[in-house]
Amino acid sequence: MIELKQVSQAYGTQDILKNVSLKIKEKRITALVGANGAGKTTLLNVAANLIPAKSGQVLLDGRDICQMETIEIARKIAILKQTQHLSMRITVQELVAFGRYPHSKGRLKSADETKIREAIAYMDLENIKEKFIDELSGGQRQRAYIAMILAQDTRYVFLDEPLNNLDIKYSVEMMTILQKLVQELDKTVIIVLHDINFAAAFADEIVAMKGGEIIREGPAESIIDGETLKDVFDHEFHIIRVGERKVCVYFQPQPDREIKRSKDCFI
Amino acid sequence: MKEKSGCIKRAGFNSRYKRFVLILAFLVLAAVSVMIGADKNVNPGSLLRLDAAAWQTFWVSRVPRTAAIVLTASGLSVSGLIMQSLSSNKFMSPSTSGTTDAAMLGVLLSFLLLGDQSRFVQLLFAFVFALASTMLFMAILGRIPLREAVYVPLVGMMYGGIIKALANAVAYRTNALQTLSKIGLGTFNRFTSFAMLWLVLIPLALAVLYAARFSIAGMGEDFSKSLGLHYKRTVFLGLCVIAVISAATFVTVGPIAFVGLIIPNMVTAFYGDDVKKTIPDVMLLGTVFVMVCDIFSRLIIYPYEIAVSFTIGIIGGAIFLVILFRRVRYGK
Ligand SMILES: Nc1ncnc2c1ncn2[C@@H]1O[C@H](COP(=O)(O)OP(=O)(O)OP(=O)(O)O)[C@@H](O)[C@H]1O
Ligand SMILES: [Mg+2]
Repeated sequence: MIELKQVSQAYGTQDILKNVSLKIKEKRITALVGANGAGKTTLLNVAANLIPAKSGQVLLDGRDICQMETIEIARKIAILKQTQHLSMRITVQELVAFGRYPHSKGRLKSADETKIREAIAYMDLENIKEKFIDELSGGQRQRAYIAMILAQDTRYVFLDEPLNNLDIKYSVEMMTILQKLVQELDKTVIIVLHDINFAAAFADEIVAMKGGEIIREGPAESIIDGETLKDVFDHEFHIIRVGERKVCVYFQPQPDREIKRSKDCFI
Repeated sequence: MKEKSGCIKRAGFNSRYKRFVLILAFLVLAAVSVMIGADKNVNPGSLLRLDAAAWQTFWVSRVPRTAAIVLTASGLSVSGLIMQSLSSNKFMSPSTSGTTDAAMLGVLLSFLLLGDQSRFVQLLFAFVFALASTMLFMAILGRIPLREAVYVPLVGMMYGGIIKALANAVAYRTNALQTLSKIGLGTFNRFTSFAMLWLVLIPLALAVLYAARFSIAGMGEDFSKSLGLHYKRTVFLGLCVIAVISAATFVTVGPIAFVGLIIPNMVTAFYGDDVKKTIPDVMLLGTVFVMVCDIFSRLIIYPYEIAVSFTIGIIGGAIFLVILFRRVRYGK
């Protein structure tokens, strides 16, 4: 159980999170959406105790997260940061092995090796596991980091824009893997997504943030709605139904006029 | 697919092959190292004949010296490896960040304040100074972000130069220049015991035990925290390991430059930066390198010998320049 109770956070005089309260639904995929600078990353970092909250409380299984040992937290929450800077030349396999640290403290047992192998297979990295991460494409590297998170094998998985750099095939595969993690392994996933359509298609719950506050939360179905999304993103959305699904169209609000204007440009 | 897995196997075979070559070189050099010396009576023949005098010399003078080389070389190489990992900078090492110079200042002060003390007291002084100075240097590096990693050893050598100048000024004021020049010479031919060197085994064991932590710490503070690793504690432990090794080797052998810098660079160029993977090879290659230099120093004006720090300074300096130019040219 992860619960945020009136959490506030500020950098200098600027309020980044304003009295945010949130109960994360167990065994669900929760998508965190909102404009750039809305405070999504800050919320994840506070919830994972990477940065302490200025006020308020984060409860992990009923205990104040600030009172817990970091290694205990790392056995329960794995977090993929939005940006990774590479300071070391290590292979994919070595990176994935880092994910076992909270459990093995650096001495890998055969159970750890199995988890590492599984994570590598899950993310389809077997062919490149001996390669150095600085020699990979952006998407391959992203998959390697996600494999590390999987190897960490925690009940809660926080992902900050994991689809960065992934092509369409791997983005869909990634989300399918997350669904499997939730359905088969009872994990709880919180994921920051920028493409609202991915949230609509794969998330169970959506939490929408704006200016450091949660302005809407609820089942995905209820958030995917023209008015709500306009409120969250300050941008026009057109919702179309494709079969059972809702799809958001957020570009070229009036197709014919746009086309005409681009023609004018040519002449 | 098939081709790729073949490639990987070959790479694995290759690295094992390289380590095998290193072990072989180590054994051969160790054998040569114990057989060289002024006393011609010590040779395979006399040892096989169980000549008591030969065995006496062998145990009392030859083996300790070779053991001292192994401990010093692997200790300094591992210090460099840990330092480079923790700072994510390939140009950090005890001799390019003022650590060795601070140890020297420490030993000098122990001479001046307490007179000719036991090695252990000198070692304590050297340790405290080395640790404090390394922490100060890391703090300085944290404050002034240098645009190019290449500047770090330059700043480090300047920093070390200041400490050395300070030591010289103190020595000059107190008429202790001669003491200083005696302290400041690196050689395995002191007529003193190497007993203090066995202390190096403790930080070496810690380094092997904590290798995975040093790797993770090298990935940065946030990364460490998300895996539940106490970053600051790990860095402090690493600095202590470096300071103990630097102090113990300085007090017994003297300043040995470049080893901590070039050996980790050469190994990580092949195997990457995972400390756990590279630590055995770093120890082996460091030992092989210092043994070669030591054997050379003992043979060139046989039956006399030159200080090994000269040989290491020349060969190591040349290798350092090659590494420097390669890194500048190919980036990082
Ligand atoms: N270290 C920092 N120091 C000062 N301000 C910060 C810091 N980190 C974030 N901020 C500010 O906090 C606000 C929220 O940042 P946050 O990274 O949480 O946004 P986000 O919702 O994740 O945005 P994005 O979609 O661009 O990733 C921004 O206005 C940002 O400028
Ligand atoms: Mg963000």
